[in-house]
Amino acid sequence: MLARASRKLSPFLFVLPALVFVFLTMIYPLVFNFRLSLTDADLVSFVRGASAFIGLHNYARLLSDPELHNAFTVSIAYTLGSIALMYVLGFGLALYFNQRFGGRALMRALMLLPWVLPTVVSANIWRWMLDGTYGVVNYALIRLGLLDAPVFWLGNAHVALISVIVVTAWSIAPFAMLLLLAGLQAIPISLYEAARVDGASAWQRFRHITFPLMRPVSLMVLLLNFIYTFKTFDTIFILTRGGPGEVTTVLPILAYTRAFQFFRLAEGAAVNTILLVLPVVLSVIYFRIARREGEL
Amino acid sequence: MRRDFGRRLLSPFGVVLTCVYLFPIYWMVITAFKRPADMFAIPPDIVPAPPTLQGFNHAVIGNEAVFQGIVNSLVIASGSLVITLALGAPAAYGLARLRLRFTGLIILVMLAAQMLPTINLALPMFAIFSRLRLVDTYFALIVANVSLTLPFAIIIMRPYFLSVPSELIEAAMIDGCSPFGAFRRIVLPLVRPGVVVAGALTFLTAWGEFVFGLTLATSDGMQPITVVLNRFIAQYGTRWNELMAVSTIIALPIVLTFLFAQKHLVEGLTAGATKE
Repeated sequence: MLARASRKLSPFLFVLPALVFVFLTMIYPLVFNFRLSLTDADLVSFVRGASAFIGLHNYARLLSDPELHNAFTVSIAYTLGSIALMYVLGFGLALYFNQRFGGRALMRALMLLPWVLPTVVSANIWRWMLDGTYGVVNYALIRLGLLDAPVFWLGNAHVALISVIVVTAWSIAPFAMLLLLAGLQAIPISLYEAARVDGASAWQRFRHITFPLMRPVSLMVLLLNFIYTFKTFDTIFILTRGGPGEVTTVLPILAYTRAFQFFRLAEGAAVNTILLVLPVVLSVIYFRIARREGEL
Repeated sequence: MRRDFGRRLLSPFGVVLTCVYLFPIYWMVITAFKRPADMFAIPPDIVPAPPTLQGFNHAVIGNEAVFQGIVNSLVIASGSLVITLALGAPAAYGLARLRLRFTGLIILVMLAAQMLPTINLALPMFAIFSRLRLVDTYFALIVANVSLTLPFAIIIMRPYFLSVPSELIEAAMIDGCSPFGAFRRIVLPLVRPGVVVAGALTFLTAWGEFVFGLTLATSDGMQPITVVLNRFIAQYGTRWNELMAVSTIIALPIVLTFLFAQKHLVEGLTAGATKE
């Protein structure tokens, strides 16, 4: 009896330490963050334990705060822009590397480097390449006749967001390529052969076979990367610190600024909660679809 | 005829495509080897002439802050590696043997953990560790990093444990092995590749981590190399060769591991980010 019970219990005992750790370092901080957001804590009052409960006051104030509205809009624009560009780049690369040619495996592997590079590094490289005075991007564009005068890509309020989007897309497109490539390889070749026999052009084959069949994979790639991109902090922090002005201040940057630069901990915590809403909704959708497709 | 010609162009054009896409990485390495005066040459030198180690000498070898940052990152990444595997390997094993209902839920939580914005954990952790007077310690930085790497490692390792036949484990237990003995002596040696992949990814994730370092290491001497680099951006201004030298050093372990174990790492990363 006892032996059987212990055998049934033992897998759970193996999992328990990790579960306790995850509870303490994930669930508890999230609850703590929410409780913190209901107080008036700044850094000093918090450490002294002198902060007071003020209910939803922080949220009420934030909801009429133009800086929060701005950060939300910027977050959406930044995320949608990044994943749109990522998708176009990633799909193009996947189509190219889905063809058979010598050296394909090696090239495809090397293409993944931007994705595995730490974001701090890739952001710093692009700061240098996008530099207004000596950056290689300006040099190349002027030489090609696409620009008349140097552009301060990260300092100019009109283009800073676009620059940040390009850098982000550059580093996540290889990941999209990888997932889309797997989708392309799952399409039966016989479909293409049949279409060819019927005289379909390359464009028609793409339009009527590849694209529709890739829709489920595409949806997952876009959803997943929306969730991952919406939370971006390092890339933007290194590139622009959220500036110029607040042109690139996304929600995570706003939360950081409030909590760690203005020392208004509780306000930062409230921004954190707001930041969480959209990813939570989308990940529920993502998991639902994944389960329906039997991937989970 | 025409089709054949097009096919033959696929390889060369692929090379051009890859080179263009990877140009930023090349530009980082090349800039790191340039002399300060040559960085601002117009037109820019595509190849440094002559290549020099001056950037590395100044910014990496002769710089105490960078050296300290590298040491800090090594300590944090190694600590995270040990704790992640110590907790993660048994958990992945348990999850491979547990009833489906639980596993599904727990794996869902682990996947959801990947999707959390880091600042959502960093801010409350800063508050909690402040109360415990643990801010600015290796302990806090390691715990914070493991909160990211542990769920990831469990998801990566579980399929390896699933592939171990349960008859093998039962047989070991009949022969008198305790459940933990069977895990340690029979199962663990069989899943070593999975543990190595999870370990490598844990180390590299912690090595490149930025947000926890930025928020939880409040003194300069405690900061990981990624945060030291960020500090230098303000201090160094336009000494791009030195900034790129430090960046190259940060990228080096990741690029090397990737080049040697590309297939395994990519499989692991994809699995960890998407599904089991």
